Amino acid sequence: MLNKYKRNANSVIKTNLKKLIVNKGEYHSTLLREVSFELCKNNIYSIVGKNGTGKSTLIKALTGLLDTRFYTIDGEVFYDNVNLLNIDSEQLRKIRKTGIKYVFQDARNCFDPLKKLSYYFKNTTSNELEVNELLQYFLLPKASELFKLRSYELSGGMAQRISLILALLAHPALIILDEPTSGIDSAIANLFLLKLKEYVITNPSAILVVTQDITFAEKISDKIALLTNHTLTEFFPPSIFFEYHKNAGLDDLIQSYIKLEK
Amino acid sequence: MKNIVEIKNLCYSVSESAVFTKPTEKFILENISFSVQQGKIVGVAGESGSGKTTLAKIIAGILPPTSGTITFDLSDEWKNTTTKPVQILFQNSTDILNPLRNIDDILDEAIETRYRKNDMELKKNILEAVKVPEKLSHKKGFELSGGEQQRIALARILAVKPEILILDEPFSAQDPPSQLNLLNLLGAINKEYHITMLCISHNLKILRELCDEIIIIYKGKIVESGYVRDVLVNPKNAYTKFLLKAENYSLSYNEIQNELEDLRIE
Repeated sequence: MLNKYKRNANSVIKTNLKKLIVNKGEYHSTLLREVSFELCKNNIYSIVGKNGTGKSTLIKALTGLLDTRFYTIDGEVFYDNVNLLNIDSEQLRKIRKTGIKYVFQDARNCFDPLKKLSYYFKNTTSNELEVNELLQYFLLPKASELFKLRSYELSGGMAQRISLILALLAHPALIILDEPTSGIDSAIANLFLLKLKEYVITNPSAILVVTQDITFAEKISDKIALLTNHTLTEFFPPSIFFEYHKNAGLDDLIQSYIKLEK
Repeated sequence: MKNIVEIKNLCYSVSESAVFTKPTEKFILENISFSVQQGKIVGVAGESGSGKTTLAKIIAGILPPTSGTITFDLSDEWKNTTTKPVQILFQNSTDILNPLRNIDDILDEAIETRYRKNDMELKKNILEAVKVPEKLSHKKGFELSGGEQQRIALARILAVKPEILILDEPFSAQDPPSQLNLLNLLGAINKEYHITMLCISHNLKILRELCDEIIIIYKGKIVESGYVRDVLVNPKNAYTKFLLKAENYSLSYNEIQNELEDLRIE
């Protein structure tokens, strides 16, 4: 297994999904095929695509978050010299705790409503100074007040900010964000953008964003790829990406963006 | 062109009270005045919590204003009907149609309420206007996609042929291709059916394409209004400038901090 993976010093994660199949009873369909990419340190990557193309499914597949009763994956995901699709759930849990962190779209439902927020912070870090700095940066209440709250007392925007803070506190090698701009004001999304750009420069980490907000993808990314027709195109820097897809006409997403934008 | 609706000094307040304290009056909308010319499309923009939807509900007659006046200048034909000349298309969601009812049924009911008779020709025309294939009309609500449900809801409104149509965040939860389709659809309906429109959205890029005029609301007050080409190209108000920068994600940390500081819970 190790021999297959020639290590690139800057590589954080290397993915090669040959096939991702959805099985529901009699119904089988190939959602993704031949999706391969490598994410490197100090870079922000975005995957854009329309509703229902399988963006969220793809990022969940990376760390085995998909229900194996309904999804069959043929492929490999190398992270830190191990194939994540081939290890036991205990090891995976450890990696999800410190190495690869997610910020999901529906941030409020990612918390247990019966637990106070202090539970999540105390399980992530003991560095109070860093917690306070991040809370202040994201314009949230002080730790002493915030820690008393439960998830149902938060607005969607607050929950998403807290979810990102918890991800940052773990200093992961990879942060994956699912539709970070949906359901929050653009000013808050703007705050995310500034912090993520700073994080990726000051840490040996990569960031992966999946979104249909192409403006956000264009502003935040070092490289963008399009998920369409069940597969992922090559990652390009934004300017080349738009030039390429304007002519390629693979998907009307980019065309309508250009029409509305320019 | 006549002013089809004129709003003067409109206020809407709720009383907030906690145990052992005197109730205090909180203004959701404060001294809103503007008028809309017949046949125009006017956009209402602002962040969440600015009072946009409350304004829509008041104009549609769902909520009574606390003070101020709304004057409509409508044709006489509305005097003899039970349907209302001002209709509202609510925020796009799967709750917009009854999931268990036939689309045909839903549209027939709207046409019958308005004209007291069945009209197959009209039904065909409005389905064509919202670009829904006729075969879909035999389906039930839950069998349609979100975008299709929204277009049926729009068809139901067209069946009533209102003079004013209020759209509450019609573009939310849609990807750019669907947004562009809806944008073209609304423009065509405005011209073909001569319906005056008031479109509420936080998406300035779309309002720029759709509307003739725009109103910017901040904390329940109008901070800037005028032609789209003036307000969104050469904004005068600091908040309008902030919104324009925010949607391009080009705000600096200080700009965000100054604007959001008061949202922080102390």
